[in-house]
Amino acid sequence: MNVIDCKGLTKVYGRTKALNKLSFTIEENKITGLIGRNGAGKTTLLKIIGGFMRGTSGEVRVFSEEPFNNLFVSANVIYINDQMNFPTALSLKEILNVAATFYENWNHELANRLFDYFSFHQDHQYTGLSKGMKSTFNMIVGLSARCALTMFDEPTTGMDAAVRKDFYRALLKDFIAYPRTIILSSHHLNEIEDLLEDILLLKNGKEHLHIPIADLKEWAIGIEGLTANVNEWIGEREVIHLKNIGHDRMFAVVRNNFSEYEKQKAREAGLTFSPVSSSDICVYLTSKTKGGIDDVFIKD
Amino acid sequence: MSLSKTSMLDIIKKQYTFKLRAYMQVFMSMVFIQMLGILFSFNGVGMSGGGSNTLSVNVHYYSADIVVAFTIVWAIISAILITTQAYRNDDFVFITNRMSSNFSNILFLLTASIIGGITAIMSTYVMKVLMYVLGRTEYLSSPIAVPEMLIGFGATILYVFLGTAIGYFIGTLVQLNKVFVVLVPGVFIGMIVLGAGSMNGGFFQDMIKFIFMESSFALFFIKIIILVILLFSSSAMLSNRLEVR
Amino acid sequence: MILNMDGTKPIYLQISEWLEREILNENFKSDQKIYSQYQLAEMFTINPATAAKGLTMLVEENILYKKRGLGMFVASNAKEIIINKRKDQTLKQLVVEIVMEAERLEVSIEELIQMIRDANKREAGE
Repeated sequence: MNVIDCKGLTKVYGRTKALNKLSFTIEENKITGLIGRNGAGKTTLLKIIGGFMRGTSGEVRVFSEEPFNNLFVSANVIYINDQMNFPTALSLKEILNVAATFYENWNHELANRLFDYFSFHQDHQYTGLSKGMKSTFNMIVGLSARCALTMFDEPTTGMDAAVRKDFYRALLKDFIAYPRTIILSSHHLNEIEDLLEDILLLKNGKEHLHIPIADLKEWAIGIEGLTANVNEWIGEREVIHLKNIGHDRMFAVVRNNFSEYEKQKAREAGLTFSPVSSSDICVYLTSKTKGGIDDVFIKD
Repeated sequence: MSLSKTSMLDIIKKQYTFKLRAYMQVFMSMVFIQMLGILFSFNGVGMSGGGSNTLSVNVHYYSADIVVAFTIVWAIISAILITTQAYRNDDFVFITNRMSSNFSNILFLLTASIIGGITAIMSTYVMKVLMYVLGRTEYLSSPIAVPEMLIGFGATILYVFLGTAIGYFIGTLVQLNKVFVVLVPGVFIGMIVLGAGSMNGGFFQDMIKFIFMESSFALFFIKIIILVILLFSSSAMLSNRLEVR
Repeated sequence: MILNMDGTKPIYLQISEWLEREILNENFKSDQKIYSQYQLAEMFTINPATAAKGLTMLVEENILYKKRGLGMFVASNAKEIIINKRKDQTLKQLVVEIVMEAERLEVSIEELIQMIRDANKREAGE
């Protein structure tokens, strides 16, 4: 069963297109990483899936229903972001108690254990928390709700490294105990990539890449060597990153469709191949120019 | 995994209980406003005096009118308040859609109106006690029959509830478009000015006469309820396509 | 038991290599049940699908075998297969690299062999 079906989804704010004919599907019980630069449309997409906003055109189905203003979707989806709002009149513990009344699958024991583990105080107010503590509290709500579709939008904002690690582990453990569909958007791909099964890469409101994370590392490869040599071996292949080293050497990241034989030949010609990390591939794929920031400093 | 089923009624119930706790500030401000009303009432709503050479009489009339008026203003403001972004975001943090949100808001406002209406009328007793404690000369109070008192409560609650409906409608308009922040007071003042200019009162005054100068309680009740339903349902319809969070 | 997180080698490969090492060290014997994808996922904080991919690789190489409903078990000749595979691939690749590096540094083959002998002696002496 597909949890999310998205066809030609477009969202226009004023004159800018936050989402531009976006199409993809997300299957049940997978953890998908939603990756993209700031302004790529990640939050807009998640808010449309959550039923808070409405697309300008195109089609979205969540659990086969139109999500906007849909009570059924609302009951089975939780969207956690770093701008959560909880009533100021309630203490932290009261917020958890209220959440427990709403969500059918809410695990109160888990909520309380996490609450104690991260040393929250039951009488404290949400507004009095630091940024990292707010994120941690949001995470507790998001995990304990055990919604069939759980979406975390930049969940680790402000968390220190230790808490981030705890969060990833808590997420994974609860996912194993209670499989559900999870979407995780984050700037720290290197931190979350081990948790993911699939990756959905957005660029300018469009789907740029949607593949299993395991395939991403083999999707592209780095080649280094003499500029002329590298250019010759790249041939017609898609280049996603170029960098000049010294005056006659070059490093290029290209689509990895070399055969073993070709690689062997290239090595003999003095080229070196190197694997490229997933997060680097994402950075290269989403950057505007092939050379990245270096292009800014090129003088004619 | 199995998906949660939902019933609208169940969610409205949950939202309502949630809001009773979450919107506590609304009741706090009510207590404050009504105390202010009592304070203002101490001068009396009316006064007449007379006397001879040796005797002078000053008669002060005290009533809950000011407290009721303050409570209606509180009702309008509170209703506007719960339509604002911050409250809406609190609202949409857990399971809901526009319909359950509106319904639970209306239930909440009805509860607030009942509490506000009753306490407003009861404030006369507070005044009597205070007057007695402060030792203000002689005081007379007209005894009220139970049916009359009930009508008093009913009418006050209806006024307050109408206030929330008006406020909720204005608040919804503002959520749709910020232009209404200027437009609504503009139209309101405009109508008063136009009404004052014309000889026979104008539309605005006619409306007020039609609704409030009703001697039959049953008719008054029906008129207010129809008005309230109109206001709330148009608010609900207007906000149905509104985006949140 | 920490995976190499520098991001150069796919996680599922690291998992299958780690399992191979466990089998080589005889922490798992023939016909013994090996970790499930969920146990592996928890141990390494990785997605269960990734762990499953690592296990499947070993099944394809006949190092593990599946019992329906019971899980994955170590094949009777698992150790042999792993040793042969490593000799064939890993060791050969390493030797090629050593030879290339030796050429670059202008080290003669005799010298290189002597270096290997010395290293072996040191290893044995410890």
